[in-house]
Amino acid sequence: MRPARPPRPARPPRPARPVVAAPPRPPLVRPRDCLVAGVAEGLAVHLGAPLWAVRAFFVVTAGMLGAGVLLYLWCWAFMPWAAGEASPTRRAPVAWVLTAASTALTLTFLPLYLDPWAWSIWGGYSAPDAVAAMLLLVTTVAFATTAGMWAALVDRADPARGIRHALLVRAAMMTLLAVLLVLESSRLAGGGGFAQLVRTAIPLVALVAVSSTTLIERWRDLSSERVKRIREEQRAEMAAHLHDSVLQTLALIQNRAGASSEAARLARAQERELRAWLYDGDAPADSDLPTDLRDYAGALELDFPVRIDVVSAGASDERASGEVAAAAREAILNAARHAGGEISVYLEGTAASVDVYVRDRGPGFDPDAVPADRLGVRESIIGRMRRIGGSATIRPGGGGTGTEVHLRYAPGPGRAAGGQGRHG
Amino acid sequence: MDEPLRVVIVDDHSIFRSGLRADLDPSVDVVGEAPDVATAIAVIAATAPDVVLLDVHLPGTSGVAEASGGEAVIRGSAPTASRFLALSVSDAAEDVVRVIRAGARGYITKGSSGAEVSRAVHAVAGGDAVFSPRLAGFVLDAFGAVAGETAVVDDELDRLSAREQEVMRLIARGYAYKEVATELFISIKTVETHVSAVLRKLQLSSRHELTVWASERRLL
Repeated sequence: MRPARPPRPARPPRPARPVVAAPPRPPLVRPRDCLVAGVAEGLAVHLGAPLWAVRAFFVVTAGMLGAGVLLYLWCWAFMPWAAGEASPTRRAPVAWVLTAASTALTLTFLPLYLDPWAWSIWGGYSAPDAVAAMLLLVTTVAFATTAGMWAALVDRADPARGIRHALLVRAAMMTLLAVLLVLESSRLAGGGGFAQLVRTAIPLVALVAVSSTTLIERWRDLSSERVKRIREEQRAEMAAHLHDSVLQTLALIQNRAGASSEAARLARAQERELRAWLYDGDAPADSDLPTDLRDYAGALELDFPVRIDVVSAGASDERASGEVAAAAREAILNAARHAGGEISVYLEGTAASVDVYVRDRGPGFDPDAVPADRLGVRESIIGRMRRIGGSATIRPGGGGTGTEVHLRYAPGPGRAAGGQGRHG
Repeated sequence: MDEPLRVVIVDDHSIFRSGLRADLDPSVDVVGEAPDVATAIAVIAATAPDVVLLDVHLPGTSGVAEASGGEAVIRGSAPTASRFLALSVSDAAEDVVRVIRAGARGYITKGSSGAEVSRAVHAVAGGDAVFSPRLAGFVLDAFGAVAGETAVVDDELDRLSAREQEVMRLIARGYAYKEVATELFISIKTVETHVSAVLRKLQLSSRHELTVWASERRLL
């Protein structure tokens, strides 16, 4: 038998001395969105061959003592998935096809299963009949087992199918195998000797195999949980270590370098970043006001020689996307730009109102003296707060040093917006 | 302040200890240093300092269940006239509440400058409490001040009086004690009294929110 040559793509003949490097082949990987296993598609992409040709090659060689099947399985086992995050999804409903096949086989030959003498295909129960019957049983059981295990082990992680699909297929296949087992074992008493014993054992073993997938799943879950826990522990350990060493050193640098120096600024930014990375597992998309202002302050510290301390108390549902946040950011930016040094930001939020205080220790300024064309304060802070029904007050900071901006927003009926604090 | 204050620095990082030592005012005399809990207790017992600058996180807590090192030091040297000022890199509420409840008289972050630390040491030595803006924010939150809870009687442990809330709010807004005093038309001494009262409440209060709140905000 002459092995059929695989249909190869028309490749240009390799030059004797490669003057121009051939373009690199795409890596030999299985695509994550595939028909069954992605072997043929992966090979086709790698070789630059048409997909149908690769498939045809496998089909043809499969006929040659199963060589194609072996090659396929070998590729399946050793080709990695393409890089990516998504769990692989298969377009072919493999489990359903196998379920249908085994069910069809069982139903078609049901009379033969029910009546032992009907096995005499060639008239009279003979050896070839027994072999044919055994083959039929083995094929049916193999389809059913593969369907059940495929559903449990492969399709379960497939986003297009999922757990319910897996349960359904497995239940169907276990029912089928149980029926076969009952039929076969009922004939155990009627004689039939060793052959019948083997025939009874086949669906039994298959049942055990299909039901054992639950154990495999459980084991998978368990080990993934373990891995997660170990990761978490490692992370905590690393966090503790970094906390003890790096954060301390960064604090020291800030301490020694003085609040407004470049080194301190960098150290503080680093500290903030590291801290956020260590402890902020999951940040919500539209973060709340304190988080947003803290981030904003962190970013400003990089650009201006300032140290911004953001303190918050209470909880409000004011979002970072709101107008209050925008006005507060503007106030902080103003303080950083014009005053520098130390800036204190204090937020107090309740269900009914939000108060934001931004205090700097700069030279201070008179809002009325700001030229009309400077929009910063007038528009971005005062105007913005007034438009949403809140208030903004600018006054000298405590003890007469610096400036303090007080934003107040109290939505809701009856609440006079702009009911500004008790101070004065 | 004729004689310099005697201070012991407890911190497991020698770089930090020497850095802090160099930064402190001449009015503060560092009489001892300790890198871990056991040494700290011994050094404090031997030198009887006025103030102990205490890192919240210390290694070698030899199995004392979950107590952060700073807490162990305070509890370990319990009958002492020394006052404790907690230093921490983090503003983790849980840590802060723990050392304060163990008996620390104040809390500042390690980012504070040498002058600030010296000032805080003097305040603590004089029997006052030292609150950072963030600690004031925590306190307001924990005592339900933001939600509008106000103590009717002054010595109520679980709530802050109206005046204490005002003082805490101003500290949270970044006001120094002197500025708080000017703002509220009271003397600095009165401000200090209020702060000490709040500290006492923080140490003695049985408010269950204190713990809840501390565990919720593991780190900020």
